[in-house]
Amino acid sequence: MPAMRVEGLTKHYGEPPHQVRALAGVDLQIDQGEFVAIVGRSGSGKTTMLDCVGLLMRPTAGRVLLDGVDTGTLNERERAELRSHRIGFIFQEFNLLPTMTAMDNILLPLRYSGGDRKAARTRAEALLNEVGLADRSHHHPTELSGGEQQRIAIARSLINQPTLVLGDEPMGEVDTETASMLLGLMRRINGESQVSFLIVTHDLELASRTDRIIRLRDGHLIDDERLAPEAVTWVTQAGVRR
Amino acid sequence: MEIVRNLWQRKLRSVLTISGILMGIFALTTMGSMAQHFNVLLQGGITYYGNSVQVADENGGTFTSGCMSLSTLDEIRGVDGVAAAFPTVGVVAKPGSSDVVTFGIPDYITNYAPGSGHYSAFKMSLARGTWVTDASRNQVDLGSAFAAEFKKQVGDTIELPVRPGDAKSDFVIHRFTVVGLINRTLTAPDNGAFVSTHDAQTLQGESMPAALRSQVDPYQLVSGVVAYGRPGVNLDALADRITREVPTAKAAKPSTLVQSFKAGGAVFTFITTAAAVLALIIGGLSVVNTMIMSVTERVREIGLKKAIGAKTHHILTEFLAEASLMGLIGGALGFLLGAALTVALDAGDPSGGLFLVTPHLAVLSLGFAIALGAGAGLMPAIRAARMDPVTALRSQ
Ligand SMILES: Nc1ncnc2c1ncn2[C@@H]1O[C@H](COP(=O)(O)OP(=O)(O)O)[C@@H](O)[C@H]1O
Ligand SMILES: [Mg+2]
Repeated sequence: MPAMRVEGLTKHYGEPPHQVRALAGVDLQIDQGEFVAIVGRSGSGKTTMLDCVGLLMRPTAGRVLLDGVDTGTLNERERAELRSHRIGFIFQEFNLLPTMTAMDNILLPLRYSGGDRKAARTRAEALLNEVGLADRSHHHPTELSGGEQQRIAIARSLINQPTLVLGDEPMGEVDTETASMLLGLMRRINGESQVSFLIVTHDLELASRTDRIIRLRDGHLIDDERLAPEAVTWVTQAGVRR
Repeated sequence: MEIVRNLWQRKLRSVLTISGILMGIFALTTMGSMAQHFNVLLQGGITYYGNSVQVADENGGTFTSGCMSLSTLDEIRGVDGVAAAFPTVGVVAKPGSSDVVTFGIPDYITNYAPGSGHYSAFKMSLARGTWVTDASRNQVDLGSAFAAEFKKQVGDTIELPVRPGDAKSDFVIHRFTVVGLINRTLTAPDNGAFVSTHDAQTLQGESMPAALRSQVDPYQLVSGVVAYGRPGVNLDALADRITREVPTAKAAKPSTLVQSFKAGGAVFTFITTAAAVLALIIGGLSVVNTMIMSVTERVREIGLKKAIGAKTHHILTEFLAEASLMGLIGGALGFLLGAALTVALDAGDPSGGLFLVTPHLAVLSLGFAIALGAGAGLMPAIRAARMDPVTALRSQ
């Protein structure tokens, strides 16, 4: 079963004559375990696409299917429920809560999803280890560098074991070296856990290290390029520098 | 935990908001405890005057010191429907001090009529010692405020009446031995000194103008009479009957007296309500202001929380909890400060105090403060809860 599938995804902002057609009928399917990059110029509809797939916004037309469920038929409560259990979010600006420690930030989604806190804590510790910040669990965001904050945010996106992680330019706020490390980290997690990633980036160098590159222009999907597995294997083995 | 840290993060604003609530609840506590005190005081009056008939000399009003002949007492006892009647003989404890304004009851000396407690709905009991009897001479039972004011224990002596600063040369005082201390009633008897009827008559006689004193036998005079009805007897009707059948007596209708006490209570209920409204305005506005700013500052945070699965009610609850917590902190501090002030003021008040801080008032103040916080935080919280996640996440 595909992790995610969109059919004829269309989004218009505003009313004519000032209407903006951000998405103009996009069809796309992402399989379980795929790591996909979305590229395209500014204004091409990347963020809009992610907001629709992440159930933060309802499309003007078309369908979004998650794990085979047509999400358009769900009410807001059910969509929130699905978000908290099935989707992880990573943002360009990290969006960690400044009043909370790294550990508490990672555990925040549990507050809304419910579930076994003790098991979640064990998972959070494993994730902290995975992102290489086991010794920083009691630190607050202000005590962490940008790259470290984003690693905490990655751990947070994974705490509820989602099937799909969405990232809107998650490497956009850090330097090239850190960006490369963050991508390596996500690739490794993707390889180990089979969670799918859909990441927006404007960096073609980084995009070339994924399984597949989707190219948007003016709301249209104009290119869908699957990369050679050998190249991917090479990146995966390089792993993350700690 | 997070909400505490959120408040801590914005210390100055939180302090200002909490101060707003604090002032409101402070006003509510002080005003409320004063009202409580007076309501208990008035309730005592309602209980006492509600089940007895106060009889005075027909030429004097109920509360004037016009005396009545003792023979009238027997006539009243003979009226149909009267179960028992007792003489009342009272004088002020501090003559000449009437120009001193007090909010409470001025200290007074009165006779203790053994057996009257059986009929009265208002019950007094002794903390220690014994009651004076009709045969007692120069013995006194003191009300709790009276005893506290003069720092008297059982066995101590006390000089009564209290000699005024500008006492005339013929002012007579007597040395009384304290034989009993009366439990606190929170109403009139706390300021009373109870002596035998004979001793009270002595004091009453000495309080009369010299010209009158030489013409009367003080032991044939009483200040008034308290009559109790037989079970089932309508006391208003009984009062009318006494007035009609005993020519020298004038009985007041209990319902009239009770009504006047209730009217007094309404004034204090109004004062408490006014204080509550004050609290509502000062505290409420500061909470509204703070919560609006708090929501505005945390738009992105709200967006994030919604993205990771927070539902409307989650966000609503979080902001309401924050507002309620401010209410609780401000309320608790305001109450403690108010209670401390009333204790401090009462400590310096010889008449036994003006305020009554009860658990009921504590619960009311805290409950009101929390509701105030939550109520004022409701609109901002709803705004936060309804926010669109995409818009919220993109805001700066
Ligand atoms: N809330 C909005 N209202 C109106 N137009 C919008 C809104 N959000 C995005 N757009 C427009 O939609 C188009 C796609 O935007 P977006 O999805 O943010 O693109 P990208 O993320 O690729 O830069 C752009 O032309 C943008 O100006
Ligand atoms: Mg964008």
